[in-house]
Amino acid sequence: MKKYFKVFPILMLSVVLVLSACGNSSGEANYPDENVELIAPATPGGGWDATARALQNVLDEEGFVEQNINVENQPGGGGEVGWQYLSDQNSHSLSVNSSLILTNNLLGQSDLTYEDFTPIATLATEWISTAVPSDSDIEDGIDMLDRLKEDPKSLTIAVGPALGNNDHLSFVRVADEYGVDVSELEFMIYESGGDVLTALMGGHADVATMSISESLEQHQSGDIEILATTADEPIEGAEDIPTWQELGVDFTFPHWRGIMGPPDMTEEEVAYWDETFSQMVETEAWQTVLENNGWQDYYMNSEESREFLEEQNQMYEDLVETAGLTD
Amino acid sequence: MGVDWNSFFEGFMTALSFQNLLFIFLGGLLGTIVGMLPGLGPATAVAVLIPITFGMDSTSALILLGAIYYGAMYGGSRSSILLNTPGDGSAIAATFDGYPMTRKGQAGQALTLATLASLIGGTVAIAGFVFLANPLASFALQFGPAEYFFLLIFTLSAVVSLSKGNMIKGFVSMLLGLIVTTIGVDSQSGVYRFTFGNPHLSEGIDFLVVIIGVYAVGEVLYNILVIKDENQQMKEDVGNSWITKEQWSRSFWPMIRQAPIGFLVGILPGAGGSIASMISYTTEQQVSKKGEEFGKGAPEGLASPESSNNAASVGAFIPLLTMGIPGSGTTAVILGALIMLGLQPGPMLFQNQPEVAWTFINSLFIGNIVLVIINILLIGLLVRILKTPPQILYPIILVLAFIGTYTLGYSIIDFFILMIFGVIGLLMKILNIPVAPLILAVIIGNMMEQNFRMAFVSHDGFLQMLTASPISILFAVLTVASVFLPALFSRLSKGRTES
Amino acid sequence: MSIRYIIPSVTLLISVIYLILTFNLPESNVGNPTAAMNYPLLIGFALLGMSIIYLFSEFKNRKEPFKAFEVFKDKQLTTHVIVVLLLSLAYTFLFERIGFLFSTLLFLTGLLFLINGRRKWLTNIIVAVLFSVLSWYAFSELLSVSLP
Repeated sequence: MKKYFKVFPILMLSVVLVLSACGNSSGEANYPDENVELIAPATPGGGWDATARALQNVLDEEGFVEQNINVENQPGGGGEVGWQYLSDQNSHSLSVNSSLILTNNLLGQSDLTYEDFTPIATLATEWISTAVPSDSDIEDGIDMLDRLKEDPKSLTIAVGPALGNNDHLSFVRVADEYGVDVSELEFMIYESGGDVLTALMGGHADVATMSISESLEQHQSGDIEILATTADEPIEGAEDIPTWQELGVDFTFPHWRGIMGPPDMTEEEVAYWDETFSQMVETEAWQTVLENNGWQDYYMNSEESREFLEEQNQMYEDLVETAGLTD
Repeated sequence: MGVDWNSFFEGFMTALSFQNLLFIFLGGLLGTIVGMLPGLGPATAVAVLIPITFGMDSTSALILLGAIYYGAMYGGSRSSILLNTPGDGSAIAATFDGYPMTRKGQAGQALTLATLASLIGGTVAIAGFVFLANPLASFALQFGPAEYFFLLIFTLSAVVSLSKGNMIKGFVSMLLGLIVTTIGVDSQSGVYRFTFGNPHLSEGIDFLVVIIGVYAVGEVLYNILVIKDENQQMKEDVGNSWITKEQWSRSFWPMIRQAPIGFLVGILPGAGGSIASMISYTTEQQVSKKGEEFGKGAPEGLASPESSNNAASVGAFIPLLTMGIPGSGTTAVILGALIMLGLQPGPMLFQNQPEVAWTFINSLFIGNIVLVIINILLIGLLVRILKTPPQILYPIILVLAFIGTYTLGYSIIDFFILMIFGVIGLLMKILNIPVAPLILAVIIGNMMEQNFRMAFVSHDGFLQMLTASPISILFAVLTVASVFLPALFSRLSKGRTES
Repeated sequence: MSIRYIIPSVTLLISVIYLILTFNLPESNVGNPTAAMNYPLLIGFALLGMSIIYLFSEFKNRKEPFKAFEVFKDKQLTTHVIVVLLLSLAYTFLFERIGFLFSTLLFLTGLLFLINGRRKWLTNIIVAVLFSVLSWYAFSELLSVSLP
C-alpha cells in the first residue's frame, strides 16, 4: 500500500516547512481575544491582497497585535463577495477597502454600502496620472482638454481594467470640470494597467489614465509623457509633473485604500484599532511598504474616515451620473 | 541595451553561488510539483508561494520566483502526458500527442522528450533574450487591438482546422467556447451579460475551471464508464525513459524551429504559452511529412508545442524586464511580488541594477538545466502514478480537481461549473467532438471580442482595421489559408488518386 | 427520432436560448447602446447556422450506424457515473458547511467505495484519510490557501 503514497506530489511540499515559520503567541482576555482575520476581497497577487499581506506583515512583525493575523482571500464581484462575507462576521474580521465600496453600490452592482460597515481607518493613497505617448503632438494637459472640448471623439482614451474605476472616473471628473461633453468620450477598456501602458507606448491610444505608480518610471525613461496628476501637491521625485490644480482645473482625486470592520463593532474595539493603526503608520516598516508600492500616507482615524466616506460618496454619486453610468 | 558582457558574466557567477543554486533547485522542484496539480498553473504556483520570498534579498527572491514559474511550466505538461489532464492552458497541446504516447506504453519516453524539448525551447529563447531583447520589445509594441484580433482569430482558425473531416463539430465546439466567454461584465460598455445577478459570475468563468472540468473531470467520468475488469491496470508497461534515435531525429528540427515562434508569441503581452503551443502544433502538423500521425502519438507533435511554450515563457519576461509591463498573468504576479520586495522592473532596471537583471537571466538558463535534471530524476517516480490502480487514482484526481478549482476563485459556484463542464467533456469524448477549439475559445474569446471592438472604434471600420498594418494583413491571410488550404489539399490529393 | 440527432438538437436549443437572452440584454449607457449585444448576436447566429448544418450532416449519414452512445449500455457503470455526479453535488453542498477536511474525507471515501469496491474497505479508508489530511495540510498550512 505504501508505494501509492509516494506518488502524492504534495507530500514533497514539506520542504517548504524549512522556509516558513509561524509565530504563535498566547492570548489575552481583552479584545482581540482570538485570531484576527484580515479579508482581502481579491485573489492572491492583486492589489488588495498586497495591501492585506503588507498589513499582516507590519502588524505581526512590529508586535502590535498579540493574536495571529490571517489573510483570507474572498475574491469576486469587485469586492462584493468579500464584503458580503464580512457583513456577517464578528469583530475579529476586518477587510481592506477602497472606493469600490462606494461605487459598487452607486453603479447598482451591490446592495451593500459604506454605511453597512464600521470604518476603521484610511491608510494610504495613490494619485492618478494622465499620460500621452512620448511623440504625441499634445502639448500639455490644457491642450488635451481643449481638443476634447472641441470634439470629444478626437482622442481615444485607454483605461483598465473596468469602466467606473478611479482611473476612468478621475478622467471624467477633470474633463467635466473643464466643460467637455463627457458622454461622448471614447474610452478603450484594456484588461489591465499593463495593457494600457503597452497600448500607449505603441501609440495605439492617444491618451491613457492610470496610477502614477504604473506610469512614473516610463515617464522618467522618456517612453511616455505624463501631462498631469490628480494629486494635491507635486509628487515627490517627480516635481516636474504639474498637478491639475496647478494647471487651473480645481480638483484632487485620491485613489485611497483603507480598513473597515463588520457592522456593530463596539466603541472599545474601534478605539483599539485606532490606537493600533495610528502607531503602525508611524513605523519604518510601514513607510517602506508605502515607498515600495508608490503609495502616499493618507492616514485618517475611524471618525475622520467616516466623514471622509460620506463626502466621497456624495462626490462619486455625482460623478457616475455625469459619466453616464447610471440609468 | 546592448549586451553588457561584464554584467552578464557577473550575473552568471552570482547565479551560480551556492545559495542561489539552492533556490533554483528548490523553486524548480516546488514549481514542478505545484504545476502538476490540476488548476494550479504557473500563475497560481507563484502566487501561493510568494510568502516564502518575504525577507529574502531581492535578487534571490527574483531567482526563486523565476524558478517556481519555470518549474510549473515543466510540471504542467507532466499531468497532460500521463493523465490527459493539463494543469494549465499552455499544457493543453501536450495532451494531443503526449497522452497517446502514454497509451502506447511510451510514458517514460514522452516525459523525457517533453523535458528535452523544454530545454531546447528555453535555451533558444534565452539566447534570443540576451541578444534581441530591446528590438523585440519594440516589435511587441506594434501590436495594437487590430493586430491582436487578427492574431487571435488566426490561432482559433488554425485549431479548428485541426479537426480534419470534422470541421462542423470543430466549429460547434469553438462557438460553444465563445459563448462561455461572453458571460460576465462586458468591459467596453459595463453591461452585465448572462450573469443572472450573481456577483461571482460578473468576472466571467475562469478558463481554468473549464479546462479542469473538460479534461480532468471528463476523463475521470469517461474512465469510470469504461473500467471493465476490476483488476485491470491502465497500462502495465510504462516503457523506459530513454528516447529512441528515431524519436530524437523526428523531433529535433521541429523543436529548433518552433522555439523562435513560441518566443515571439510569448513577447506579445497577453498572448503567452497557450497560443504559442497551439500555433506551433498546428504549423508543425501542416509542414510535417507525417502529419497524419499527429494526434496518434507522434513524437514531434509533443516536442514542438513543448519547445514553443517554454520559449514563450522566457519571451514573457522581455516586456516585464525591459518595459515594466507584465505580459501574462504570471508575470503580473511576479511584478507584484517584486514591487513588494522593493524592486521595480522596467526601463530603468538595466541601467540602475544591471546585476540583478543579468543574474536573473542567467538563473533562467541554469534553471533550465537544473529542471531537466529534476525532471529526468522524477520520471521514475511519476510513471508510478500509472501503476496506481485506476480505481484509486481516479477518485483522487477527481478530488484534486475540486480542490484545484476552489483555489482559483474560492467559491463553490465554480464547483457547479466544474461539474457541468465535466459532463460536457464526457459527451464530447464519446461523440468524438474535438475539445481543443472549445478550450482555446474559452481562453482567448474575451480578449478577441474586446480587441475587435477597440480596433473597430479606433480605426472606424473593419476594412480600415484590416489595412491598418502589414501585421494585420499577414494574419488575416494566414487565417483564410488555415481554413481553406487543408480542404483544398485534401481535395487535390483525392483528385490525384482518383484520376 | 434517432438518437443521432440529440446533440445537434441540443446545440440548436442552446443557440436559440442564447439568442433570446442576448436580445434581452440591457442597453449600454456608455457609447453605442447596442455595443454589448452585437458580438453575442454574431456567435448566437453562427451557432444556430452550424447546428442546422450539423443536423443535416447527421441526416446525410443516417444510413451509417451510430455507436457513440453504446458506452452507456453497461447499466452498472452508467449508474456509477450518475452516483459520482450526485456525490460531487453533495460535496459541493457540504464543502462550506462542514469544512474542507470532513467533506473531502466523506467524498473520497464514498468515491472509493463506489469505484474500488466494498471488498477493499481497508485500503479505501486508509487512502481517504491520508489523502484528505495531507491535502488539507499542504494547501492550508504550507501554501496558506484559505480553506473552509
